[in-house]
Amino acid sequence: MTIMKLESIRTTALAAAAAGAMLVATAASAQDYNITVWAGGSNDADIYRVEAIEMAADILEREMAILGEEVNIEVDGRIDFGSWDEFKQAVTLGVESGTGPNIVVTSHGDIAPWSSAGIIRPVEDYVDLDAWPLNDIYDNLIEISSFDGIVYGIPQDAESRPFFAWIPHMRAIGYSDEEIAALPARVQSGDYTLYDVLDDAEAMQEAGLVEPGYGFYPRVSNGPDYWQFYQSFGGEMHDSETGQLVLDTEAMTRFYQFFADAVERGVTRRNHIGTPWDQWYAEVASGQAGLWHGGTWHYARYTGREGLDDFFGNVQFSLIPSGGDGGGSNTITHPLVYLVTSQDDEDTAFIAAELIKIASEPRINTLHAILSAHLGISESQSQVDLYSGDRWAREATDRLLPYASAMPNHVGFGDYWNLMWAGLESVWAGQATPEEAVEGLQVAAQNALGDNIVIR
Amino acid sequence: MTQQTKLGLGFMGPAIVIVVLLFLAPVLLTGFFSFTNMSTATGISGGTYRITESVLNRLPADQVRPDVIVSLSESQFVVDEAGLEAMRAEGLDPAFIEELAERHGAEVFTSGDDLEDAMKDLDNRPRSIRVIKGAVDMFERSLRDRDFAEEAAFTAALDDAVVDLTDNERVVIVQAAYSGWTMTTSNFSRLWSTPQTGQVIINTLFYVGMTLLLFNVGFALVLAITTTFLPAGQSAFFRAIWFLPRISPSVLYVLLWKWLAWDTGFINAVLGQFGMAGRNWMLDTTANAWVFVILINGFVGASMGMIIFTSAIRAIPKPLFYAAQVDGASRWQQVRFIILPQLVWPLLFVSTYQTLSLLTSFEYILLSTEGGPGSTTEVWSLSAYQTALSNYAGNLQYGYGATMALVLVAIGVAASLLFLRLFNFKHLVSRPRIEQ
Repeated sequence: MTIMKLESIRTTALAAAAAGAMLVATAASAQDYNITVWAGGSNDADIYRVEAIEMAADILEREMAILGEEVNIEVDGRIDFGSWDEFKQAVTLGVESGTGPNIVVTSHGDIAPWSSAGIIRPVEDYVDLDAWPLNDIYDNLIEISSFDGIVYGIPQDAESRPFFAWIPHMRAIGYSDEEIAALPARVQSGDYTLYDVLDDAEAMQEAGLVEPGYGFYPRVSNGPDYWQFYQSFGGEMHDSETGQLVLDTEAMTRFYQFFADAVERGVTRRNHIGTPWDQWYAEVASGQAGLWHGGTWHYARYTGREGLDDFFGNVQFSLIPSGGDGGGSNTITHPLVYLVTSQDDEDTAFIAAELIKIASEPRINTLHAILSAHLGISESQSQVDLYSGDRWAREATDRLLPYASAMPNHVGFGDYWNLMWAGLESVWAGQATPEEAVEGLQVAAQNALGDNIVIR
Repeated sequence: MTQQTKLGLGFMGPAIVIVVLLFLAPVLLTGFFSFTNMSTATGISGGTYRITESVLNRLPADQVRPDVIVSLSESQFVVDEAGLEAMRAEGLDPAFIEELAERHGAEVFTSGDDLEDAMKDLDNRPRSIRVIKGAVDMFERSLRDRDFAEEAAFTAALDDAVVDLTDNERVVIVQAAYSGWTMTTSNFSRLWSTPQTGQVIINTLFYVGMTLLLFNVGFALVLAITTTFLPAGQSAFFRAIWFLPRISPSVLYVLLWKWLAWDTGFINAVLGQFGMAGRNWMLDTTANAWVFVILINGFVGASMGMIIFTSAIRAIPKPLFYAAQVDGASRWQQVRFIILPQLVWPLLFVSTYQTLSLLTSFEYILLSTEGGPGSTTEVWSLSAYQTALSNYAGNLQYGYGATMALVLVAIGVAASLLFLRLFNFKHLVSRPRIEQ
């Protein structure tokens, strides 16, 4: 990066020097830039991931015009990728072959492998992190966007993965309104645990409020959410001292055992994984499930497409409960980040980074946060009317974000994650006991990751 | 070369190009990739040399002295004459350079950020942050986080940064600092020692064996024989029906199966009328999943065998059947003594072809069960695909996936040889006795 940057500094320096002179002279000939933005994991409600860059392009063109530079920026956005893996494959192969995008919106977890592969550029080389609006972004989000002490990305949104309970069913099994209101605090303190969840789920099924297997209704596919349950039992993913990944066999066994117990007690279906998402959303938003977990962005889906008018009257939300001894309540935030790829030249990368900077301004980012029911990235957003006037954004930010942790940025984490998921699936399907699955995971993780993982 | 040979080669030309590009090259590349550690993190097009926090963490304590690691980890920016000269050479504002030299000349900064802050405080600072960042880089006098495209340049910089490096330390550091892929045989040992490998092999054998026996050969044979004894119109109708799965787009075809089997699907809609609780028939248990996987693949595969066997049966001279009927042979005896002996060739072909095809095809499994529930229906080719080209976490392991694919090629070759032996291929291609 350093070497590449030196090559083009002369042109920038000259351009900057010339800019002042051009304020009084005639404008230089127009410079055209085509900036391609690809956003993964996005649907219609996430359109501001691209449109914020378009808005930023308009502002940047005006700023450059004031400095005497005529710049035309064409933004070409794309969000229609089938799945995360299709998107990631398209980005990595595209950038390697020189046909990729300039800006990507992706999981922070991609920073480690993509920076190592030279697919992305450190954004800190292009923008002033000490200047507004970047100095206003939450420190922990900037940290999540960094790898090896270098800031590679700018957070695009924040979110968190809460636990949900259907209030009418909780009431029907004996909870008073006061107890339901106090539930988030009980979860946070560790008083209400994951095994209380199974008890309540069982009670709901016995009372005939939900069908068998619908008492506890987890996410239907792999996702960062499942690491929360590992953390609930005291598991750590990463040792920041040594930089190694951590497999805590006891916590992993207890985490697997919890899902084995949920299936065994009949409150979660054995064939739950693979349930179509549309079916799942429709069921949890209509009281067909008792307790479940999801993401803060689910609010938009429940209250929008699924037609749940009175969200706060029907749904209580909290951190993910503790698993009991040695664990604690928690939630994971999995922010998406804007990254500048190695596609095209330094000048284009500079423009791309500037656009990301402008798109991170509180008012522009709030458009995305509220439309898609994500959480804001900076302090100032709570002063933007659109944000502060939104009950969900306000309450979710207060109740969840201060306690949110993130998955580590580590080159080998993707492999570890896949193995953890394969182990959980085998326990869920009844193929292996938790102990057997953890044993298999241990051997496979050591084979795949060697010294990159430490087994405890 | 005769005119005829040239003409022959001319006709073969396009086919040879296609075979080389689409078949030979991928196999050779797979063979090559399987001896690399290529992944998303190493990239495909090669890497650079860089000392990062991860690299420092990776350096083995028993091979690199602690003080070497400490000196490599330090970051140093010195406002020296060389840097100032570089700024002048780049044509930066002389007032900026002069003020920097005056206020911070010979000063040592332990991070680029600190020097950047110092520059931003200058009265004559450039407006553009990009110019400032470029200037900061000119004063970098340490190795930390710098990118080197060539090994020689990196090694030279390394020797400058740490004067008393041993040869072994240099080798270890250069190896750790390289971010690209390298040649290795570890994929094979990893595959061998991973516990899941055995289960995937068992799954694959079960999937190929059952689909082949029950449908691609077994049911195809039944269809071919039964339709042979039907009147022409009816037999054509039945064969056309069995062709439908083959000509349906695979995504649509599997979607129909899913609609049939989902919790809210057709089977449950019917059983619901009788008060039975709904369940996902496809993923409910391991046995369910296998039944669906084999049915979905078998219905597609049966049609090919059916056509080949039918045409082979049609090629049997009619007088043989007439003679058998005159002799009072039953239908079963006609099948047993006339049809089956004539089908050895097509049986060999269909078995071999469909075995290879089933070994490598995973699209219907991917679309229906995705290898689940758990990984009970995960077959070798699906596993290789998910390892090398598609997984949720995004770190694709091209090298390890290629190793799995290479093993599949070896199994395919072995299976073909086995079939040739099983069907006594030598005997089939020997000259008829009448011509000897």
